[in-house]
Amino acid sequence: MSTDTSRTDRTDRLADIDGYRVGLYVAIGLLVAFFLTPIESGFVTSLKTDAAVGNTAPYLPPLFGGFSIANYVTAVEVLARGMGNSLLFAVPATLLSALLGSFAAYGLTLVDWKYQVPILVLFVAGVFIPYQAVLVPLSRLYSIVNVADLLWFVWAYTPVSVQYADLVELTVTHIAYGIPICTVLFRSYYTSMSTEMMEAARLDGASIRRVYRRIVFPLSTPMFAVVLIYQFTQIWNDLLFALVIVSTGSSPAAPVTLKLAGLGASLEGLDFGLRMAGAFVAALPTLLVYIAFGDEFAEGVAS
Amino acid sequence: MAQLSLDHLTKVFTDDDGSDIVAVDDVTVNIEDGEFLVLVGPSGCGKSTTLRMVAGLETVTSGDIRLGEESIADQKPQDRDIAMVFQSYALYPHMTVRENMSFGLEESTDMSDDEIHERVEDAADLLGIPELLGRKPGELSGGQRQRVALGRAIVRDPEVFLMDEPLSNLDAKLRSQMRTELQRLQEDLDTTTMYVTHDQTEAMTMGDRIAVLDAGELQQAGTPLECYHRPANRFVAGFIGEPSMNFFDATVEGDRLITDAFDYPLTEEMREAVDGANGVTLGIRPEDIEVAADDSPTGGDEFGTTVDVVEPMGNENAVYLGFDEDPTDTFVATVGGMRRIDAGERVVACFPSDAIHLFDDASGDALHNRSLADAEDAGAEPRV
Repeated sequence: MSTDTSRTDRTDRLADIDGYRVGLYVAIGLLVAFFLTPIESGFVTSLKTDAAVGNTAPYLPPLFGGFSIANYVTAVEVLARGMGNSLLFAVPATLLSALLGSFAAYGLTLVDWKYQVPILVLFVAGVFIPYQAVLVPLSRLYSIVNVADLLWFVWAYTPVSVQYADLVELTVTHIAYGIPICTVLFRSYYTSMSTEMMEAARLDGASIRRVYRRIVFPLSTPMFAVVLIYQFTQIWNDLLFALVIVSTGSSPAAPVTLKLAGLGASLEGLDFGLRMAGAFVAALPTLLVYIAFGDEFAEGVAS
Repeated sequence: MAQLSLDHLTKVFTDDDGSDIVAVDDVTVNIEDGEFLVLVGPSGCGKSTTLRMVAGLETVTSGDIRLGEESIADQKPQDRDIAMVFQSYALYPHMTVRENMSFGLEESTDMSDDEIHERVEDAADLLGIPELLGRKPGELSGGQRQRVALGRAIVRDPEVFLMDEPLSNLDAKLRSQMRTELQRLQEDLDTTTMYVTHDQTEAMTMGDRIAVLDAGELQQAGTPLECYHRPANRFVAGFIGEPSMNFFDATVEGDRLITDAFDYPLTEEMREAVDGANGVTLGIRPEDIEVAADDSPTGGDEFGTTVDVVEPMGNENAVYLGFDEDPTDTFVATVGGMRRIDAGERVVACFPSDAIHLFDDASGDALHNRSLADAEDAGAEPRV
């Protein structure tokens, strides 16, 4: 009896396969290959010796000799300090831009006062400022506001070297340029919050600050996950501001992106295996952040 | 003492194009200490705006709101000693029921944690929800959320409760149950209450007094039975009561009212009342129309009609009747549920003269209301 049913099931399923479905799966398969081939090639290349990189096709794994993890050892050695430096400014810049963006969005959305719209327009305009347009003003600004001089006591009384002033500048810059997009993201989330709930909290006697602290902030967790992941990835991967503010990969305060740019490049040519290994090592923290906030991220994107 | 007075209260919204919209127009009403006042009207009549002005969520354009002797019109919402129950309940979804109920006390008083704990427990017992204290709003049914929303207002022990259509999100059965419960609760707590609804049944059954609003203006404030039997104008007469009162446009000619379909003889008293009025509207409630199953109207207040549609309700039948002159223009009468009446049947409808209301066409004001002589003879409140 049960064999009968399973047999009919199988016939039904086979009957379902028509030209359309075959075409669909082929198309999906090709798209998957199209997206994954570069990553796969990068990964297998990073595991090859220099000689194997030259001798084998880029997408073939090093199955027949030429396998090596030396690239990763070297990459970690070279990039470790850069990654530490990047964390030093990426973490505070991410947290502060998210928090300030959330404050701004709360003030512009759930608190009622005049002229909110023109101010919101300024924030939205901020999202669309191309970074290239601000590079010169930015370097002018930091030559006028000399952070190294302002914070002289840090370099004088602690073992921190004066080059780390650049990281303070990077932090401030990333916060400033992160706030508009964070505000817009939080605002879209806050406009969907119940106004009756806000009014209930006000009637319950909570001040504007307390409403944020006790109602809005705890309910913002999913959006914080989205914004933290987005901002961390942006800031961690940024090369442009790092080039302008820190300028050289040889600085002790150079972020990982600057170090990565110079990795495996020499007069003899490019060491592809090493560069690929470096890329994967440098991408690791953003991956970890994504995994850590993944559930909340999904919830935040859905809402 | 917490008597709430609205004194010539007016709210004007300015539209984006600069035009003014009068949402609440010169509303004056007093709510005695401990009284349950229901503010009722069709949607957009300004009842919610009035409530929100009392709560402090909308500014007052002109007029005053006084709690006792003190004007609260310019106070911040949190300083007014008022608690509000919202239509959507507006519970804080990330907090447990206990935290939801404690929130107001934590924010607005300097009570110790023990006192707050005790107040919350007492309120939860009163509402029969002590077992829900540890749960979050997402885990509760609509009726339970409703209770928590009430509990959140009750723990604060305010001078005034404001309720904005608190029962409209419940299903019909639960709604009538909560209606009774809310009334009992309000009597127990003896807190001045202002309750907004568009549902005339809620208004009739719950209010000590009801205030009927239309287009921002107060039409009538009185006990439910006053509004039912002695409506101040045609709007109140039509809004209160289900099915609605029947209206017939008429002109006065001597001692008769002439309508498109019938002539109606006026009594001496009615003739005095309509003296000087050009057009009047005759109103009669469906339950006052006497329907007799024969086809021989005697003239006077009896008319020959044909049954158009019958809506059986179980306890009564709503019968739609058409006059011979114009069968498409029907009016409604209610008869006992056990009585059998079929569509197409010929019946005689009688409009007893003591049940007739007359309204002035120009102003809509009531010129003559039905006689309550029978009820007054019995020495009791008139019963519906």
